[in-house]
Formats: sequence, structure tokens, C-alpha cells
Amino acid sequence: MDSRKYGGFLTILQRELGRFFTLYKQTILPSIITASLYLFIFGFALQSRIGTIKGVSYLQFILPGLAMMAVINNGYSNTASSLYQAKQLSFIEDILIAPISATEAALAYILGGAARGFINGGFILLLGGIAFNIHFHNLVLTFVLMMIVSVAFSSIGLIFGLQAENWDHVMLLITFAITPLVYVGGVFYSIEMLPLEWLKTASLFNPLYYMVNGLRYGTLGVYDTSPLWSIVMAVVLTGVSFAAGVYLFYRGYKIKS
Amino acid sequence: MMENKAPAIRIRGLSKWYGDFEALKSVDLDIQQGEFYGLLGPNGAGKSTTIHILTGLANFSVGDVRVLGHDVISDFRFTRTNIGLAVQEFNFDPFFSIEKLLTLQGGYFGLQKQRAVERAKDLLQQFGLYEKRKQDYRKLSGGMKRRLQIAKALVHEPTILILDEPTAGVDVELRHMLWDYLRRLNDEGVTILLTTHYIEEAEQLCERVSIINRGEIIAEGAPHQLMDAMGMGCIELQLHEQPEHLPDMFNGYDARLEDNMIRIRVEHPNKELPKLLTRVNAENIDLYEVRIRESSLEDVFVKLTGKSMAEEAVNGQS
Repeated sequence: MDSRKYGGFLTILQRELGRFFTLYKQTILPSIITASLYLFIFGFALQSRIGTIKGVSYLQFILPGLAMMAVINNGYSNTASSLYQAKQLSFIEDILIAPISATEAALAYILGGAARGFINGGFILLLGGIAFNIHFHNLVLTFVLMMIVSVAFSSIGLIFGLQAENWDHVMLLITFAITPLVYVGGVFYSIEMLPLEWLKTASLFNPLYYMVNGLRYGTLGVYDTSPLWSIVMAVVLTGVSFAAGVYLFYRGYKIKS
Repeated sequence: MMENKAPAIRIRGLSKWYGDFEALKSVDLDIQQGEFYGLLGPNGAGKSTTIHILTGLANFSVGDVRVLGHDVISDFRFTRTNIGLAVQEFNFDPFFSIEKLLTLQGGYFGLQKQRAVERAKDLLQQFGLYEKRKQDYRKLSGGMKRRLQIAKALVHEPTILILDEPTAGVDVELRHMLWDYLRRLNDEGVTILLTTHYIEEAEQLCERVSIINRGEIIAEGAPHQLMDAMGMGCIELQLHEQPEHLPDMFNGYDARLEDNMIRIRVEHPNKELPKLLTRVNAENIDLYEVRIRESSLEDVFVKLTGKSMAEEAVNGQS
């Protein structure tokens, strides 16, 4: 690799990683604390009443969903807020005038955010895995799925970061789409436990359901819907959002006049 | 770079629309390597749009834009590596110290880490910011931020430096310091393109200027040529006492009486003055003082547009 040619790409990536590692109190600790609270409050309170689901304890059952929630939230937030700030304070111009292609710049931002998503989710799985004595069913799938999904939501973050004109816009998607869809995406229950048939059917239209379902298969080996669908959905979502993000960056959507 | 004789900047038929508004109307521009060039015009004339297109900050609708012979779209890596840009509004990354910020800038332009660190240190020293290197930019004064802005444009040692209103809002002392610095850079071979709406800045620094108004280049040339060709100078005769009316000898002139001063607008005041003084002596007019006001680029602008730059700036922004 010609280091001068791709130096710009590497520098953006390094900056993005540097930013969230420096701000670890805002970017890494919160989701670990949130996941721990869920585990303690829901897990310990409900464990004895629910017992096991599909042969695993309730605490084990909710762990992959919590990890996926962290992957999604952090992947999205990092890229959305970083790009929004770069745009708002105009220092995105430093990158636009540099010898860096739109694809490289978009990719660097996306990978930076994806790293934060992956690290957050990874920490939760690792700590939870040790605490609840989980033997990972398929480590490769677990890894790959977390990576793909973090890239998908980091790309979505790029799109919304470009689009956003204030902080409310940045948070809009989390508040009104991501959080509700994750909650109803089977993080805390198996859809087979849902009391109404149409609720089960509705879940199948929720893309986040497939992400949670897939990671649960990777970590525990249990699933509601075939994990193959999870992989297909994750790949499609990643492909579409990545392409859209790169295209908007290339067009200079809201960053070039 | 020396073997490349292509113009530093060559623009042909450049047009840019913002919706229905035509911000640039088929602009042509040639800037040779090593030139100190000015784009002069009121606010909203299209100066910034032009340099944003050169540097990748703006898309354009029609035209051919080349830097050192290379197309700014298809060969953007080459053209952007060769250009350093200091935009008008400060645009600093707030997460890092100013030293780190300059190092990152070097990295964006493909400098090796070690080289970027050296360049950052050099520039901080040159611009008197070394003491502040560990601070973030918000702690700097306005003048320091302006210097940092220019330093940032220079980290990757561009052969062409583009500055958008580099001395907007800076005090006289810093303005002169920056002018000296830019002259030195130019002497070292760096092509400089600056936009300004300060007449004096263009006159003092630029070998050639283009005057741009409402998206069109309305005049182009060396400042003194433009002033000679189109400017109007002025001779001011201060009298000891205020005359009752303008003496008859000024009837053939564009002259006005203002209290005890007679102001005469002429194309070449230096040439006109001796003739005028001979006649003034013959008429026994009691002179107290004589002043010459050289024509300025502002006069050129007024002559071409019928308005001052300040008036145009107001109109242009509607």
C-alpha cells in the first residue's frame, strides 16, 4: 500500500478511533453499565419466574440482544455525531480539500464508528460470557455478524449525520426507530412467547429482530428464525446503507455547496 | 514541479448555479506559477465560490477547471496535494490541541507521521504559536486563530496557496505581518491566490488581479495598469480662504468646490499637476496646500459598475 496515497484515509480512521477512545466515559462505559443494569434488574428479577428459554437461562438468553443493542446504538451514534459536528463546525472542510476520495473518507468514518459498535458489543459479550459461563456456539459467526451490523448502523449514522441540522436530528432515529425496534426485536423474549399470532408475524418485518436472532444463534446456538435469514438481512442492510452513505458523501450532500 | 510549465490555475467557462441564481457566469481565469494573484470584489460577488470549486468544497455546473494542467475532478489527488487553502471562517477540529490539529492536517494530505509532526512544529514556531501548542484553539485570540488558519493551509507544503479574505477582521499590525509573510512565501516560489474586498490589500500585494462582480470578471490585469487604464485620480487644492465660487479657470475640468478646497478629478494627476499649478499661479490663486490622490482599484470598480464595492456588497447579498 502506498502510504502517501492512503495516508488521508488512515488519518481519518485514526482520528475517529482516537476521539472515542479519549471519550471512553461517554463512548464505552455507558453501554456496559446499561447492559449490566438490564442484566441485574430484568435478569435476576425475572430469571426465577421464566426459568429457561430454549434450554438456556434467561440471563444467558438476553445477553446477545443486549450486546446487539450496544453494537447498533454505538455504531450509529459515533458516526452520526462525529460527522454532524465536523459539518457543523466546518472542519469537515479539512477532509473535503484533502487528496482523499469520497469513498475513502466515508469508509474511514464508517469503520471508525463500526469499531466503537463492535468494541461495545464485544465487551458486553465477553464480560457476560465470563459471568454466565457461556460457551460460544459459533465464534466466527458471532464475530462476523457483529462486524457487519456495526458497519450497517455506522453507515446509517453517516447518512443521518450528513442530514442532521441539529442534535435533535441526530437523536431522532435512535429515539423513534432504533430503540423501539430493538425492544420489540426479541431482546428480552423469544417471539414464540408472544401471546398473539399477529405480533409474531409483525416481528418478522422488524430488521433488528434478525440481528438479535442471529447473534443469539452465534453465541448460544438457539434461534427463533433460521440464522441464515439473519445473515441475509444483515448483509442486505449493510450493503444498502453503506452504498447510500458513500453516494451521499460523494455527492457532497449538505457538505458541499 | 519546475518542469511543469502549465498555468498554476486555468479556468474556462466556469458557471455555477444555486437553484435559479447564477453565482458564476462563464468565468475564465489564468494564474501563472509563481504569481501573486488577487480576486477582488464585493461580498457575494463569487470569489469564494470560485476558490471552493478549485479546492473541492463546491461542485460546479459547467466548465473546465485545471490546476497545474490537471483536472480538479478526475485528478483531484494531484490538484489537492498541490493546493493549500485557508478558508475565511475558522474551521478547527475542537477535539485536539493545536499541535495535534496541524499534525492531523498533514496526515489528511498524506504526510508521514514524523514529517507531519515536524511541519506542525515548524509552523507553530514561524507563526508564534509554539507556546500555545498544547492548548485547544478556543483558547487563542482572534489574531492567533487567523495565523493558525494559515499555518494549517501550509502543513503539506503546497505549491499553490489560496487564501479567502486572509486579513478579514485582523488588526493593522497583524495584517502587515501576514503581508510580509505572504510576500516571503511568494518569493520562495509559492503561487498565491487571495480573495479580498480590501482594495489596499490587492494593490499592495498582487501582481495581477481580477475584479469580479455578480459572478462575472469585469476587469483583469496588473493593478497599476487597471488604474492607469480606467482609474480616475484626484488633485486637491487647499486654499487659504474660501472663494465665493469656483474660479473660472476650472471650467474645463471635473472640479468641485468643497469649503476652501477645490477637488479636481483627472485621469493622471501626476502629469496634470504641473500644468495646473502654472495656471493656478497665473491666476494668482492663494494656495495653502496641494495633495494628490492616486486612483485606486476602487475607482476602477466604480468606473466599471457605477457603484462602490460597499454598495454592490449590499445589493449582491439580496
